[in-house]
Amino acid sequence: MTSTRRTFIHGTGLGLFSYTVAGSVVLLSPREARANGAAFKVLHDNEVELIEAFGEALAPAARENGIAHFVDQQLSVDANDALLMIRAFNVPPPYASFYRAGLAALNDYSIEVHDKPFVALNDAQTSVIIDALVAALGGATPAGWTGPPAALVYLAIRSDAVDVVYGTVDGFERLGVPYMPHIVPPEPW
Amino acid sequence: MADRTEVVIVGAGAAGSVYAAILAEAGRSVTVLESGPPWQLTDLVSSQIWARRLKWAEPHVDEATRDSLWINLNAGRGYGGAALHHFGVWPRFHEDDFKEQSLYGKGLDWPIAYRDLRPYYDRVQSDIGLSGDAKAEIWRPAGDPYPLPPVRRFAQGEILAKGFAARDMHVAPVPMAVLTRPYKGRSACIWDGWCEAGCPIGALGNPLVEYIPRAVKAGAVLQPNRHVTRVLTDQRGRATGVEYYDARGRRRELLADVVVLAAFGIENCRILFNSAAGRHPDGLANSSGLVGSYIMSHSSANLFGMFDENTQNHMGLNGGQIINQDGFTKVRKDGPFGSRHFIAGLAVKPNNLLGIAMTRADLYGTQLDAFMQRATRNMTNMVTVGEDQPQRENRVELIGQKDAYGFPRVRVVYRTSADSMGLLNEGIEEGKQILAAAGANEIWNGPKGAQHIIGGTLMGERPKTSVTNRFSQTHDVDNLFIGGAGVFPTSSAANPTFTLHAVAMMSAEYLRDNFASL
Repeated sequence: MTSTRRTFIHGTGLGLFSYTVAGSVVLLSPREARANGAAFKVLHDNEVELIEAFGEALAPAARENGIAHFVDQQLSVDANDALLMIRAFNVPPPYASFYRAGLAALNDYSIEVHDKPFVALNDAQTSVIIDALVAALGGATPAGWTGPPAALVYLAIRSDAVDVVYGTVDGFERLGVPYMPHIVPPEPW
Repeated sequence: MADRTEVVIVGAGAAGSVYAAILAEAGRSVTVLESGPPWQLTDLVSSQIWARRLKWAEPHVDEATRDSLWINLNAGRGYGGAALHHFGVWPRFHEDDFKEQSLYGKGLDWPIAYRDLRPYYDRVQSDIGLSGDAKAEIWRPAGDPYPLPPVRRFAQGEILAKGFAARDMHVAPVPMAVLTRPYKGRSACIWDGWCEAGCPIGALGNPLVEYIPRAVKAGAVLQPNRHVTRVLTDQRGRATGVEYYDARGRRRELLADVVVLAAFGIENCRILFNSAAGRHPDGLANSSGLVGSYIMSHSSANLFGMFDENTQNHMGLNGGQIINQDGFTKVRKDGPFGSRHFIAGLAVKPNNLLGIAMTRADLYGTQLDAFMQRATRNMTNMVTVGEDQPQRENRVELIGQKDAYGFPRVRVVYRTSADSMGLLNEGIEEGKQILAAAGANEIWNGPKGAQHIIGGTLMGERPKTSVTNRFSQTHDVDNLFIGGAGVFPTSSAANPTFTLHAVAMMSAEYLRDNFASL
């Protein structure tokens, strides 16, 4: 298990995607993209706000780790190149349609239950909404939910949050799990 | 304008690469058309996120029933196909897997017996470099010893082995297409659990490390980003080549003496349906009406235990450390028919569909974080896998919607057989007892999964009841062969990749030896 063996291949920027910052295209991790205020390509401002709030509730630190930039960048590429977990769930491309409809359904459901948009909910109200989505994993659609399957929306965005929080080099490190890559990422994301 | 080759192979995955190597080494001109990118080992980034590039996405396959086959997850795209991200678990099918109808009045018979395939299993394991302990596998049918010693056992493997032992159940090292020592110039495994992302050091046996290099060395031409839409036929109904679209979307034809369809099984069916023409009005090689029928998959569920000790669950292989096939007995008194087995000690990463976070999809927020902290140290992972039954109504069929090239897409109509569900439930129950016997202080299981996709172009003795003969040659079109697990008449519970290679090798050598008479 030598370092030479592990590092003999040098990869091309694990975790780095192209973002536009101040008019220039640069390679950044989603976390860096958020910190640098990179422009969004697909998601609208209200969707960015919503996915960050939802992601943060699902996996703390998802906002700071750039969940919105990660999802947005992946929705901007061809389905065959997309790195989102939604791909495994056999959702038909284009995936942006699913996210757009799913986020809208989440917000509508929040208004239905609490008479407030999701981003305006307090912690207890947020839990009520998410608990209903968790219950949907058993097959029951929450009363008042309209849109893509609630369980699928939950699983997709929870997976995105898990990816940016736990699926990175930093995420592994926080968990105390050796990353042990064959292809060493030049950046810690 | 059309080019010409002696053999055109559709798909650079496991089966296609075996055909390409054997035919090119025999001096045939071979061209392989692959719809995906030309992956190299250096593309296999160690990340569960980036690994998703290796999976299928488009053209999308609809699923018509609630029993999902997890098609995108099971399929692959690009050089290596699904075998590029497979876990390398390579048990052999058992003797009775080939004769279930004759022996038990269930399922279907293969037109070949285990003894026909045994020499090819032995040769493939020598080519690829399999590790294992043949004597410890008390269930294993006759075969050469493995060329390499078994895979390493880490803490979770030791812990789970105690659970099996406490219930008088036998375990053996999982037979793996993973190098435990350097072999044929390839490096040995370093046990870091990145198998699903693809193995860039070449320790895991996939098409990029053996049969594709052999094919290329012998002169085969591989062309990526070529999307084959139809097999072309002449007035006599013989295959004359294929139609495809290149990376720039231009329609092309490649003429050939022989066509081998070795795309993913569902895509093979789609190409055959879309190749309907004069003498083949219902689709090519479909006079039986069985193209697309008898789709099968292994029903599986992961079982998890939380232990006080450190389980080292990040170490080892995604495919596991130990196997138990005590449940391969087909017939149970008052129980479901078919084989099942356990594979235990599967290495896991924090994220992805089979990652730690997804084992408790109900947790979120601070509870999820607390669980992640514990589970990364103390969780064990095992899986129960059960045989499926061939059911004609489980099928691939065309739908009205078109792909980017204007050809109909397909949907899959699939419902898990009652026997398979019974095996799954039995395996979950027994698996929990094993975990309890091992001393787990928390035990839970994941939802039903579907591993591997099998069937759709079955081999058989008679043209009226099957699509190909024993050599994967279609009954209707002499110069058309099918590669892959689509030709399997039964699924066994065993992972299909080893058998797929053996069947492909046997068929490719038949084609090689009878080329002039086709």
